[in-house]
Amino acid sequence: MNAEKKEEKNSVSFGPAHPTTDVAAASPLARDLARLLTHEDVNRARDRWAVSRARSSERHSKIGGRLSLAWLLVGPGVLVFLAENDAPSMLSYSATGARFGIGFFIPFVVLTFAMGLVVQEMTVRLGAVTHRGHAELIFDRFGRFWGLFAMGDLVLGNFLTLVTEFIGIRAGLGFFGIRPILAVGVGLAVVSAAITTGRYWTWERITMGLAIFNGLFVPAALLARPPWGAVAHSLVTWTPLPHGKAFDILLLILADIGATVTPWMIFFQQSAVVDKGMQPLDIGPGRLDTLLGALLATVFAIAAILATSPLFHHGIDASQFQAAEFAQALEPWIGHAGATLFALGIFEAGIVAAIAISTSSAYAFGEVFGVGHSLNRPLREAWPFYSTLLGSAAAAAALVLIPHAPLVFIVLIVNVIAVLAMPPALAFLLLLVNDPEVMGEHVNGAWENAAAVTVTVLLICAGLGFGLATVFPTG
Amino acid sequence: MKPTGLETNPSAAEPEFERGQDSRRPPDLKDPRVVLSFLEADQVVAAKERTHFGRRNLSLGVRAMLWGLRLYVVVMLVLVIVSALRAFHLVP
Repeated sequence: MNAEKKEEKNSVSFGPAHPTTDVAAASPLARDLARLLTHEDVNRARDRWAVSRARSSERHSKIGGRLSLAWLLVGPGVLVFLAENDAPSMLSYSATGARFGIGFFIPFVVLTFAMGLVVQEMTVRLGAVTHRGHAELIFDRFGRFWGLFAMGDLVLGNFLTLVTEFIGIRAGLGFFGIRPILAVGVGLAVVSAAITTGRYWTWERITMGLAIFNGLFVPAALLARPPWGAVAHSLVTWTPLPHGKAFDILLLILADIGATVTPWMIFFQQSAVVDKGMQPLDIGPGRLDTLLGALLATVFAIAAILATSPLFHHGIDASQFQAAEFAQALEPWIGHAGATLFALGIFEAGIVAAIAISTSSAYAFGEVFGVGHSLNRPLREAWPFYSTLLGSAAAAAALVLIPHAPLVFIVLIVNVIAVLAMPPALAFLLLLVNDPEVMGEHVNGAWENAAAVTVTVLLICAGLGFGLATVFPTG
Repeated sequence: MKPTGLETNPSAAEPEFERGQDSRRPPDLKDPRVVLSFLEADQVVAAKERTHFGRRNLSLGVRAMLWGLRLYVVVMLVLVIVSALRAFHLVP
């Protein structure tokens, strides 16, 4: 580990210390150590004990040990990708299926998730090696000036995205006739309940349990009886190509990219890896976790496109559809059960993303202001962290309930803003992951850099294409 | 790294569980030494609060790239707002 490269910052004090237990505090030998340890350390050590035990079993060639290790270390990667299949993302995929059917966008979505995988893998290594969140590393290595820029992008993007999650929650439950204030209240209650555990592990399992319901789009797609031959053909040939106005196509391309690679994902997964207590030994399983998340999210995203493709085949104009309208319009072709699954899927997508994105904001806030920022801490030890988490969610929820708030405007631009903010975020990520003083032996290799630079260039080109289509709308 | 005052597991290696040892029994986490044995040196919160990565020197090229990307974001945000206003028929 490259710890020797770090500098001691004398101005930082130890802050409030919390004896782990009365027994530890009473022992003369342990008193000094106990004074320094927090609940966060103890909870993390408990998780590390479980990982050590599983790895020890694995060394003795027990299949159970291997499975146990995989179960213990899966989490941040699956969560970040399923949370990124959020309400606006699923609506983007739904709009794609409804306007262009089965064709170019099916393999394109696979490509965007491959891009996401390249980006998120780097966050696993950064978190496991440095034990620092992304915001903290940017402030440490690039200083306050650049750090504030990065945080500005994150805060703006996170808040707008959170608003769209509550729009999705409202629209999803609206299909069942639930009033907006009640729907938004349910969403806020779930976000609040998820943080009452005081344990990262419990929070992660609860959120993953919710996230797996992103798979509701799969039975909805099966009910649409998609032509599997056409799906396979499009995956191989990338055809038929989309036809229509260049601007509309570019907007959907950007929205679909923004549905897969966004700045909050970088900040969230790195902080989650740190909070989970992952170490360099866990980078391999962490990569598998990220790959699993990308695969699941790809399948569910394609399912959303397939579920709404009947609207394209029947010539229904879905350009102004929101979540509930999609579900209602689909009912004649996928039945009431299918429409119900679709609406529940949008609700779930909003809930899980609201949990993950508000947590991402709280992690970044804690890292920048140097206050406790871990789900392994009880409320009384980290109330600024939990207040930020709940406050950001509550503000977004409240905005959704304001009459005549520009919600359609926000839904329209949120994924596009995410894509446009990605190149600077990727630049910081690439600089950090190529920094030998930070990463030691775990710096990026040539292939990893080539892939990451390619992703960055593609994102910039997509953004510039959008810009040209905006300036020259007839083009 | 300068000493943090914490004696912790200095490497990525984890405590080994020997054959015959009852690894199902949870460790005594009341003992802080046991807690520290499961964590890397800079994984302990108190150590993280005391030590930070220092500022890196940004070359002219890196600074130019960061400024270029910042300019890109600002220009593109303006274009997003223009296109959104156009979508709402608020500008021609």
